[in-house]
Amino acid sequence: MQIFSTPKSIKKDSSFSFCPGCDHGIAVKLVAQIIDEMNLQDKTIAIASSGCSVTLYNFLDVDCIESPHGRACAVATGVKRAHKANGKEMFVFTYQGDGDFASIGLSESLHSALRGENITAICINNTNYGMTGGQLGPTTVLGQITTTSPMGRNIEYHGFPIKTAEHVALCEGSAFSARVALYDIKNIINAKKQIKKAFECQLKGYGFSFVEILSNCPTNWKLSPLDSHKKIENELSKIYPIKVFKDITND
Amino acid sequence: MSHIKIDKNKCKSCYLCVDVCPNKLIQKSNCLGKTGEFVVEFKDKDSKCTACAQCAMMCPDIAIVEVVKE
Repeated sequence: MQIFSTPKSIKKDSSFSFCPGCDHGIAVKLVAQIIDEMNLQDKTIAIASSGCSVTLYNFLDVDCIESPHGRACAVATGVKRAHKANGKEMFVFTYQGDGDFASIGLSESLHSALRGENITAICINNTNYGMTGGQLGPTTVLGQITTTSPMGRNIEYHGFPIKTAEHVALCEGSAFSARVALYDIKNIINAKKQIKKAFECQLKGYGFSFVEILSNCPTNWKLSPLDSHKKIENELSKIYPIKVFKDITND
Repeated sequence: MSHIKIDKNKCKSCYLCVDVCPNKLIQKSNCLGKTGEFVVEFKDKDSKCTACAQCAMMCPDIAIVEVVKE
C-alpha cells in the first residue's frame, strides 16, 4: 500500500530552487497535497510574488500569475472579482514571503483583509529578506544580526518587528488567521490542518483567510537546517506564538 | 517489506530525514549529490521500517518520492 507519493499538482521532473533544508519546500508540498485532496487543481489560480517564492509556477501544476513586488493580494483581488463577474468561481490564493506581504505589500494585504476579499494568503515568515542576501526585514526579531543590522536589531534605530497574523486577525473582514511552524512533524501536521481550514474558508465564501508560516532560512541565518529548526523551536516560537488567532467558523 | 524510495537527483543533503527517522534507517551514503555533499540512502537490513512517512513529510525537496507499506 502506498502511504506517500509525489503530489499530482507538483510538476513532474521539476525540482525546487530553494536552498537545502529550506521550509519553503515543505510549505509548497503541503499546499500541493491540499490542492490534490480538495480536488482544486482545475479551478485554482495561484499568485506568486517576488522573493524566494518567485518561481512557484515552475513547480506547481496550476495556473499561476506572477505579481509585481508586494502586490500579490491586489492581483488576487482582481483575478477573483473578474472571474466572479463572468460567473466563474475560481479558487485564488497568494504565496508570499514576509518582505512581500508585511513590508512593501502591507497596504495591499491589510486592505484586502479589511475589505474581506474572498481570497487566501499564505505568508512565509523567515525573519529576513532571504532572496536578496538576508537583509533586515519587517519581521526581523530584536537583537537578530543581519547584513544590514550587523550589531543586531535595536529598538531605537529599527523599531519593533511586525506580528502579521495578529494584525490580520484584528481586521474585521478577515475570516481566518493563524500562525504555524514547520520545525517538527507535529507542527507540519498542524500546518496542513490550518492551511486546509483557510482554503475551506474561501470555498465557503467567509472572507479573507490568512496563514503565516514561521520558516527557517539556513543560508542567511548561517546555521545548519537542523540547528535552524531548533532556533525556531527555542527562540522564534516564543516571540511569534504558534496558534490560531481568528477563526469565525468556530463561532 | 515496507520501504521508501529516494530520488538521488533531488536530494540536497540537508539531512533533516536522518534526524527525523524514529528507527535511524536513513544515513549518509558515499555518493555525491548535486550540491557537492553526500546524499542520503535508505538501509533497512532488519525490516524495521514502519512506513510512518515522517521522512517524506519532512523532506523539503520531495526527494523521498514514495513510501510503501507492506
